[in-house]
Amino acid sequence: MNKSLLLASALLIVGCGTPASYKDSNGRDLVVSLDKVNIQDFATTGSAMMQSMVQSKAFDRKNPPVLQFGSITNDTTSNFDTSLLLSKITSPLVNAGRVQLLESDAVANAARAATPGSKVPVAEFVLKGKILEDRANAGGIRQSSYIFQLTLVDVRTSLAVWAKEETVTKAGSKNSVGF
Amino acid sequence: MKATPFFFAAALLVGCTSVINTADKVERGLTPPDAINYVTTKADGTFVVQMNDTRIGNKIELLAARKSKTPGGFAVVQFDFRNGAFLGQNINVSFEWLSANGQVTERQDNWVPTLLEPGAIKTVTATALKADSAECRLRLVSR
Repeated sequence: MNKSLLLASALLIVGCGTPASYKDSNGRDLVVSLDKVNIQDFATTGSAMMQSMVQSKAFDRKNPPVLQFGSITNDTTSNFDTSLLLSKITSPLVNAGRVQLLESDAVANAARAATPGSKVPVAEFVLKGKILEDRANAGGIRQSSYIFQLTLVDVRTSLAVWAKEETVTKAGSKNSVGF
Repeated sequence: MKATPFFFAAALLVGCTSVINTADKVERGLTPPDAINYVTTKADGTFVVQMNDTRIGNKIELLAARKSKTPGGFAVVQFDFRNGAFLGQNINVSFEWLSANGQVTERQDNWVPTLLEPGAIKTVTATALKADSAECRLRLVSR
């Protein structure tokens, strides 16, 4: 009898824990963390920013505007690459031919220097921004807000032609799965 | 003495995630899965609703779908929907764009979570990125 009980206990214990599995990166059952920006937060915010930006006056024309990245400051306690957000905004626009993205890395600068007579497009707009964080607690409930601020600046006038703030707020006592 | 193995098993299982997962699976097995609902605009200015999840269909009412164009000639669609239930609803929306011959031209991969208070009317706007995107298909799923 004791053996049966031990066997039953062992069977119950085996399989304890959730094995890792692949998930749809755009699905609705991803891990939601209270202390960091999750991959779905970048996707949701990026698509909202992109939809808003494409409705701005900078895009009210036939020729795609030439865009260059300015500084995007990560002012949160999490360490992440801001290109996680920027690529969600610019990739669909570049692939649809709605924007020309001016590269400004070392390779692009060297290529420009090597071909001084070539026609290098000049940036018309610079996209810059900031990512902020706000935290609050009430009893056992923790709340984290991540504020994404982006501005599109016309380089000829230095005037902002589009600005958008998106806030992602998550609250709970522990991390979970799903929206 | 016989109770000892049970005690150990119970102690080990407390906080065990597989127990929660099993319960979740049972719950999901007892309730029908979330189905995706569609609202598609048509060339004549009307729209077609394909309601695959009747639970959300009884709560979320589509009021209007308006089509227009940007000065650059790109299609813009606005959908108005209302929460007709007595409780707040968490829904997720996403878009697909179709060309005039029905091919999918662009697609928003991620879901956008949207909270609808009882009686609230929400407007979602989608702007096409490609010139050949003519009709918009709104995807809507609960939770």
